[in-house]
Amino acid sequence: MQIFPIRPFNPPGDIPALRQQVRDLVAQHESHWQLESRANCWFSFDEAFSKALGKAGLLAMNWPKEYGGHERTMLERYVVLEELLALGAPAGLHWIADRQTGPLLIRYGTEAQKQKYLPGMARGEIYACIGLSEPNAGSDLASVRTSARKTPEGWRVNGQKVWTSGAHRSHAALTLVRTEEGSERHAGLSQLMIDLDTPGITIRPIVDMTGSHHFNEIFFEDALIPLDALVGTEGNGWKQVVAELALERSGPERYLSSHALLVALIDAVGPEPAPDIAQLIGRLTAELWTLRQMSMSTAAKLDAGEDPVVEAAIVKDLGNAYEQALPRLVQAAVDADLADRTDLSRLLVWLLVQSPSYSLRGGTPEVLRGIIAKGLGLR
Amino acid sequence: MSDNRQLLADMAEGLFAELAESDFEAAWPRLAEAGFSTLLVPEDKGGFGGDWGDVLAVLRLAGRNAVPAPVAEPILAHHVLALAGIEAPQGFVSIAAPGCRVPWGRHADAVVSVEDGKASLYMVDACTFTEGESPAGEPLDAVTFTGTAAAGAPCEADLAALGAFARVAQASGALEAAFTLAIEHVNQRQQFGRPLAKFQAVQQAMAEFSEEAAAVDASAAGCAAALDGLDEAGFEIASAKLRTNIAIDRATPIAHRVHGAIGFTMEYALNRYTRRLMSWRSEFGNDAHWAGVLGRRVATLGGKGLWVEMTRRSDRLIQPA
Ligand SMILES: Cc1cc2nc3c(=O)[nH]c(=O)nc-3n(C[C@H](O)[C@H](O)[C@H](O)COP(=O)(O)OP(=O)(O)OC[C@H]3O[C@@H](n4cnc5c(N)ncnc54)[C@H](O)[C@@H]3O)c2cc1C
Repeated sequence: MQIFPIRPFNPPGDIPALRQQVRDLVAQHESHWQLESRANCWFSFDEAFSKALGKAGLLAMNWPKEYGGHERTMLERYVVLEELLALGAPAGLHWIADRQTGPLLIRYGTEAQKQKYLPGMARGEIYACIGLSEPNAGSDLASVRTSARKTPEGWRVNGQKVWTSGAHRSHAALTLVRTEEGSERHAGLSQLMIDLDTPGITIRPIVDMTGSHHFNEIFFEDALIPLDALVGTEGNGWKQVVAELALERSGPERYLSSHALLVALIDAVGPEPAPDIAQLIGRLTAELWTLRQMSMSTAAKLDAGEDPVVEAAIVKDLGNAYEQALPRLVQAAVDADLADRTDLSRLLVWLLVQSPSYSLRGGTPEVLRGIIAKGLGLR
Repeated sequence: MSDNRQLLADMAEGLFAELAESDFEAAWPRLAEAGFSTLLVPEDKGGFGGDWGDVLAVLRLAGRNAVPAPVAEPILAHHVLALAGIEAPQGFVSIAAPGCRVPWGRHADAVVSVEDGKASLYMVDACTFTEGESPAGEPLDAVTFTGTAAAGAPCEADLAALGAFARVAQASGALEAAFTLAIEHVNQRQQFGRPLAKFQAVQQAMAEFSEEAAAVDASAAGCAAALDGLDEAGFEIASAKLRTNIAIDRATPIAHRVHGAIGFTMEYALNRYTRRLMSWRSEFGNDAHWAGVLGRRVATLGGKGLWVEMTRRSDRLIQPA
């Protein structure tokens, strides 16, 4: 049993030119980006840049043209993503819409939903967030309790979501709700695309341990959501969510979150580093290169219509471990004054504090390894 | 996989499985007869005309079957001889990379070395071997060239790097074999009234094991692609060998842990893979060696230059549809 058969990454078209397009666009915008926002950059927001990407045709790249997309391949999109991440471009505002909400609407949404959201998402003007986690439903997502009762006027939604990234900057939340009273676990769940300006919805900030306001609580108190906000089939929510999560596991954002620190380290130590620092750089590079091989191969499988669930979980788990270990390894090897204001120190401090989140968002190591073990036939 | 490569792999798999429990004397004539040695020698020079992807397929299978005879070394030796335009002698030719022992040296009819841009062929009567053994009990002999070379010619091949690639390919196969044994074992062995596989701690350990094997598969494939598609694959070889060494470090303890005492016996097959993996981690460059090589190379690229170089290299490997 070969666990990870490799599929070559062969996007069509002029890939070096596509990279250059992204690099040029970043160069036009980067002067006003904070150093810290260049690490973990798919959690950083810059509206002007998101719109510029939309204008340049670098969002919604593989969506149909009728919805504002550009009908390019998933692999060309992959190239754009990895460039944005490696260059530390703040890509957080449009990230969720471009990565998962838009594609889910294309797959399951009604024509009206597509018309309403997709063109704006493709322009980098409409942003979405992921309404899955609840106070009592984390890893065990099937225990969500937020309810939506069907009435002639619409869905009456009550309950609470939590840890919702970017809800305060988003127009809508694709929300997992229980539409069948008394249902348990995977049954009776549905997805609603909920506009966040609806009365009865309150978004409250949660300040994370870096001091940033990134994620939120969302409260639903008898919020009346139009019946046509249902995405896909009533009761099919679990299956749709599983498909959604597959879109978010193997991408380059799962190993490049700390890349800015590697860049800063190489620059700080110069062309002739001490032997132990050279070895650290070599070790990080070997992991980075290998993860990129794995992530590209998984992207190629997704592009070919395969369903690489295990591979995607492997990439995320190994990738998170790498991007999480990077700041700790740098701290161990480099005598950096953490109170100093050098680029290296600032990024190191930022990532030491930020990186514990990498293995939480999108599934913990235990959950991912559970998925792998299932794929291996052990459970 | 190309049809040719599939045929080659089928042939290799059948033969290697037969040779798995043999020894050098029994195995070498069969390997020689099958003609693997000339895998990389162009067809117009009487070889198989294969590429590095073919080498990966064959060596992966050799690793998976723990073939107790040299498969990689003659392939690399004949490749270097063909590159240098030196006519290959009869028999088994092994390799002497700078600073490395000669695998299976005592059985060799000749040895190829490359140093300072020059390939040299030494017949066995020009070699003096100091015998040694790998942790797997395989010959790892130090050589001094006490006679003159039978032939020499300019050659730019980096024999240690090619040897490192060979060990990556073999390790990917050996890890798969060890992994397969471990899966079978945890499914069968019962403790506390159920198969070990049903314990979450065991499942998680096996998932980690699979991740490491996957990383080696990916780096081996990426490395073969670079050897075939770039004029120089030093970056990829260093990355792949180092990542493989790390995987060996992480995965072999798990293989033994989930097996319990049975895995520690000579009779049970696991040690045939893990002892080789332990050896291959050191052969043709340990972790510190390749980390230093790669780190010094990356340092000269500069922070942003690393990404530019990585993408430039991989973009050149894209095959038009
Ligand atoms: C920065 C950040 C952004 C996020 N953004 C979003 C978002 O936009 N939308 C959203 O819906 N959610 C979001 N999340 C939530 C995230 O998906 C959850 O944190 C994650 O699923 C884990 O859930 P939990 O925090 O409740 O931890 P728990 O599920 O309580 O887990 C705690 C620990 O127990 C372990 N554990 C749990 N169950 C098992 C088991 N069966 N076996 C073994 N170990 C187990 C876990 O692995 C973990 O180590 C975000 C989280 C973070 C940190």
